[in-house]
Parts: sequence; structure tokens; C-alpha cells
Amino acid sequence: MPSWFSKVFKSEEDSPKSTAPEPIEDVVEEDDDEDEPLPKERRVVNAPIVVDESEASGYSDDIVIKAKMEPQANGCTFLVDRPLLDGLSFWAPDADTAYGSAPLAGAIFDLGGIATVLIHGMTVTVSRDGTEFSPWEEVAKRIGAQIRAHLKSGMPVLDPDYQARIADEATIAKELQKVIDEEINPGIASHSGVITLNRVVGNTAYITMGGGCHGCAASTITLRSGIEGAFRGAVPELGAVLDETDHTSGTNPFFKELPAGMGM
Amino acid sequence: MPRLDTFQLVLQTGDSGPGAVPKYSINGFPLEFDDYEGGTGPGETLQAVAHPQSFPHTLILSGPEDGTWDIVGAEITYHCDGDEPYSLTLGEVMLGDHDDLNLWYAKPPKVFDV
Repeated sequence: MPSWFSKVFKSEEDSPKSTAPEPIEDVVEEDDDEDEPLPKERRVVNAPIVVDESEASGYSDDIVIKAKMEPQANGCTFLVDRPLLDGLSFWAPDADTAYGSAPLAGAIFDLGGIATVLIHGMTVTVSRDGTEFSPWEEVAKRIGAQIRAHLKSGMPVLDPDYQARIADEATIAKELQKVIDEEINPGIASHSGVITLNRVVGNTAYITMGGGCHGCAASTITLRSGIEGAFRGAVPELGAVLDETDHTSGTNPFFKELPAGMGM
Repeated sequence: MPRLDTFQLVLQTGDSGPGAVPKYSINGFPLEFDDYEGGTGPGETLQAVAHPQSFPHTLILSGPEDGTWDIVGAEITYHCDGDEPYSLTLGEVMLGDHDDLNLWYAKPPKVFDV
């Protein structure tokens, strides 16, 4: 008999017996079901992924740019071998925003067929608007060339006047917290969801999606369509909004088996 | 989401392990491996194969009910419908008696120089 079996299902002989009389107030009628042990709540753990360093390319004097497809977002992320913005990030939902604020983003919109541009750290994430149907591999090469040419030209990534208008971290955090408290959390309460603002660094917001949002397969939609929109309405100069939730681990990773009798 | 036809698991146990071959769960449904060699006792290596033929929202290796499981490392090879197989190497992790191990990692996106 396995050791866990004997621990969970103790026989009556093994159970400690009390000789003291039981107080009357402790005597309650119990269902038979209550004698059954509750199953342990289990959590899912992620092991570290081992990366083969020999596959990494070496440093080059030229500007090295790698493109990573983001098929779910019809987008592509470009990893540049150097920081693009010093402690800030930039989000352009359209060409007009880009032209007036970030010359690098404007240069990418010049290629046509671009929907959004996000610049953060060493990355540029681009999505397409669906009006241009070339394979991403071709478009990515053109965008990579445009990024490289812009950086070599010495032009700023962000317009200095626009940069000067970006509010300080405390002001941004206060505005975002107000949006969370008054709009977002009351709105997702019906799904038992809760959003926490972890911190603001520069103009980048880091959040955690908890409760019903943790591990929910629709959490990305909630983030991109709901939370980001509300945030940007309150703070137009907000850059990246990054979800720090590990949706694959914990006690509710995407899918949880329902108790017997519930669901299908 | 691709249909996962088969996955192969090679897992090395360190100083502590449950000994028995664990189950895996796909989308919350516990299943036995279809074939295996070795075990999960201290110092043992488990080689196991499963054919879930399903679309994984979650793929989990059941952790120990009792004690700890010192996993030194693991390699998982996924065979998804209509795609080339891909492999992933996991590093060291210690599971407690409330822990299960995540085994599902979607195929990494294509990365190329531009």
C-alpha cells in the first residue's frame, strides 16, 4: 500500500481515541461527505528553459537586428542589439501619432501597411493593418533596413519636445491607479478578475492580472482591448503596458478541471 | 493551437523522487503514458512516450503526492499535426507535494536576421 494512501485513509484502529467527554456544543450532525478528505490544491511549476548559447550570434560592429514573428498579433518584434530609448517607451496607434512624436516610428509607417508601432527597450514591435499582403519575411527585411538606416542617420528615436511632455512616474501611476479603481476593476469584477498596477518605470506600466484573469485564455484580449485602451485614454503618452502575470503557473493555469458534476 | 499528436519525455531525477512513473494531464484529464522505460527514483532516468492527439491548453506532469522530487533536467520533444517536431530542454527544479510540472511550451516563433 503506498504511503500516501495510508496517511489519507487511516483505519479506525489507527485513529487516536479521546477519552475526554465531548462537549455538547461540539456535537453537530455531519454529512457522510464531510468525512472524505479534501483533495490537495495543487499548483503548476515552470522549470527554467535551458538555452543553447552556441546558437546565439556573436556581437557585430554593424547594427544587428533579429526579427521574431508574433503570429497571434499579426505582428513582428525586432530585437536591436542596443537600447533604443533611455528608460522610456513609445506607442503609436497610427501614423499621425508617430510622425509628430517619434521619428523612428514615423520612418516605419512610411513603408505603408503598418497598423501600430511599439518601441520599448531594445525592441520595436510592429503590427500590420491588413492592406498589404507580402509575406512577413519580406516586410520584416524592409522594416529592419528602415530601423538600421534611421539609427545610423543619428536622428532621434523620440522627438525631444514630445519626450519633454511625458509626465513623471508618480503622476502616471496616480492616473493609472484611478482608472483601475474606477473603471477596470469594477468592470471585470463580474469575472472575479482584478488588475494590480505593480509599478511605472519611465512611461511603461507593469501590471498583474489576478483572480479570474489569472490563467484565463482571454486575458490577452482583456489586456489589449480593455485595459490598454482605458489606460491610454487617461495617459496619452503612456508607452508599453506589460503583463507580469505568469499565466502558465500557479493554481489556475488556463484550464482547471471542474469538480465532478460540473461542466461537461 | 496545434494538435499535439505525440510527445516524448526524458527526465533525470536527482537525490529524491517518487519512484513510480507519474501520470500526465492534458487539459486537466489525467492519463497514463503509453510507453516508458526507467523510473523516477533517486538517480533514475525516465523515458516516456504519450500520444494525446489533442489540443493542449495545459500539459502537466503530476508531481509527488508525498515528499519531494528533485528533477535535474528534462527534454521534451513535441510532434504536432502538420509541423516539424521540436524539442525543449528544461533545467533543474524541485517539486513539493503540492506541485505539478508544466510540460507545454508552444513552438517558439521563427527568429531570423533582417
